[in-house]
Amino acid sequence: MKTRATYSVIALLVSAALMLAACGPTPATTEAPAEPTSPPVVEPTAQPTSAPTAEGPCLIVGALYGGPITDAGYNQAMHEGVMAIGEGIPCVEIIEAENVPDEAGATSTMENMIEQGAGMIIATAFNHQYPALTLSQTYPDVVFEHAGGWEMGPNFANFFGEPPDTWYMMGVAAGLMTESNRLGFVAAFPLGWTLTFVNAFELGAQSVNPEAETIVAYTFGWGDSAKEADATNSLINQGVDVITMHVDSPATVLSTAESRGVYSIGFQSLAAQQYAPEYWITGIGYTLGDTLTWLTSTVVDGTWTPIFLRCGIADGCMAMAPFGPNVPEEVQDRVNQARADIEAGNTTVFAGPIVDQDGTVRIPEGEVLSEGDMSTVDWFVQGVIGSPQ
Amino acid sequence: MTLLSVLGVLSSAVFSGTSLLYTTLGEICGQRSGIVNLGLEGVLLVSASAGFAVTVLTGSPYMGVLVAALVGGLMNMILGYLTITRGANQLASGLALMFFGFGLSAWIGRAYVGARIIGLPRFALPGLSELPILYRSLFQFDLLIYLSVPVAILVWWVLFRTRWGLGVRAVGESADTAFASGRNPRLIRYQALFVGGLLAGLGAAHLSIAYAMNWTEYMTAGRGFIAVALVIFSKWHPIRAIAGALLFSGAVAFQLLLQSSGIQVSPFLLDTIPYLVTIVVLVAWGGTRRHSAPASLGRVYQGSE
Repeated sequence: MKTRATYSVIALLVSAALMLAACGPTPATTEAPAEPTSPPVVEPTAQPTSAPTAEGPCLIVGALYGGPITDAGYNQAMHEGVMAIGEGIPCVEIIEAENVPDEAGATSTMENMIEQGAGMIIATAFNHQYPALTLSQTYPDVVFEHAGGWEMGPNFANFFGEPPDTWYMMGVAAGLMTESNRLGFVAAFPLGWTLTFVNAFELGAQSVNPEAETIVAYTFGWGDSAKEADATNSLINQGVDVITMHVDSPATVLSTAESRGVYSIGFQSLAAQQYAPEYWITGIGYTLGDTLTWLTSTVVDGTWTPIFLRCGIADGCMAMAPFGPNVPEEVQDRVNQARADIEAGNTTVFAGPIVDQDGTVRIPEGEVLSEGDMSTVDWFVQGVIGSPQ
Repeated sequence: MTLLSVLGVLSSAVFSGTSLLYTTLGEICGQRSGIVNLGLEGVLLVSASAGFAVTVLTGSPYMGVLVAALVGGLMNMILGYLTITRGANQLASGLALMFFGFGLSAWIGRAYVGARIIGLPRFALPGLSELPILYRSLFQFDLLIYLSVPVAILVWWVLFRTRWGLGVRAVGESADTAFASGRNPRLIRYQALFVGGLLAGLGAAHLSIAYAMNWTEYMTAGRGFIAVALVIFSKWHPIRAIAGALLFSGAVAFQLLLQSSGIQVSPFLLDTIPYLVTIVVLVAWGGTRRHSAPASLGRVYQGSE
């Protein structure tokens, strides 16, 4: 029977689709996880070295992003950093390409930019690193900078902000604001950096509120908005009264929390605040403008050298968003105090002894979790509820 | 497990099940007339992006819902042209429509990524407004949710109690016989597809305008295919589709609850629960012969001599 055959084909296709869906999208994030292994280098002062000329740009900078630059998340933060170059050094011309998530697209986009005369390439997505590294060997005269990568070369280096310290500050804010002592964390995947963020957040909360617990829910997608709404609601229904997230765009999580009258904390871009006008506590975002401007100025004046550059909130590479309207003065003061302690070096987030969920000592007394280990963490500190793998 | 978390699973099932229910109802209309739309995913994406864009531009979520529904209808007309007028293979045309939808929706939504909208307004039922906000917000639904069950009943009534519905089902069983009894199979299939597209568009609108309040590329994340599966699950019956949609989205909410309850089972495995449930039910219900697929499902009507 022809119908039966057709029906079988449909059944086959549907089950194939279900299985695909069940396996979930591959953890291909547009965000670049950082792998810092060397001490931060801090020289973020913009020094425009050549005056604008009438003949043309002194340097063409090509910047590419994994997702849309208006996502109020990671890509927007990177875009704003790049745009700051143009303001700091007016003679620089900037070419941008957004929505370049895959490696093949990144290669052709960068080649296209170099053909248009780009002398410096800023590649911001995780998947851009190896295409950029390969091209850096083909085009030795072009400077390549990658956000958050770990590879280095004669004309290839990387830069990034350092979020863990700032997550600790957010934990302090959340720990003081919560009444139920339950904090919610919506995460895309159980990846090393995400777990480090959760851990830093929980440790910050514990520092001011020993009862505080952080409950984690994964969506298994960097942009599955409906599932983000599901996860946010699920956490709220378990008594969580402060929500934060590590997904590409914070829009859905923040809007959902706002609609349920629950406090929220943003991450990635400072633009996130718009989604939670009333129940916003605060947030952290990447503010790499000054660093990128400085890097570009060294390319313009010919002094650029490959540096493994990592910089934190004290260097202006991360920034804290303004507090929301319902955050009491004394909470603001204590968060600012926590920030001052971190900037002064008085607080080390991952200083031992730190025990995981099972009570096993992960960082012994007197030791500190190295930055290299932060990217491969596969455990949660005590006080986090959820599975780390 | 507190009362709030149990009620929360029900609430989440309703919230995220609504888009699935409308989409499934739409697919039932099409399949009852004999056309499988495997491009539903693409239809949803284009409707969701267009509806979201219009909501941003006009500031009116209701306008967005209207446009999303119409766009859904129009997307289905593309499938109609390919499979009814041109006589192309339904499965191939559907898949083509899906990939077309991926590209088109990314293009439509590009400028509106990250835009902030006022979502579809939510109302509390009388009597519930006294509850604390945490509980009240669980059952504060929007218009599309309140209308979803009435619409399912309406679709059932239209398909099973009206002359037009009889025509749709007749064409789905045997287009030749329907033609012999004086009906126009091509016209009826176009009509059923258009109505189906409107319903799928409502589902897409609920996703982007009411629930997620956001547009991101490929935000449907497989829901179009889930809806096709739910059609088989519900055995082409609109009322059973309600149970299907609630079961699937309830399973999603339940696995999220399990994830964060502290049990040491890999969240990767828990995430597969809703799909496993769907597959198990499909297998378990697969055997009965009553309420089987429309006999002409998937067959191209070449015209009658």
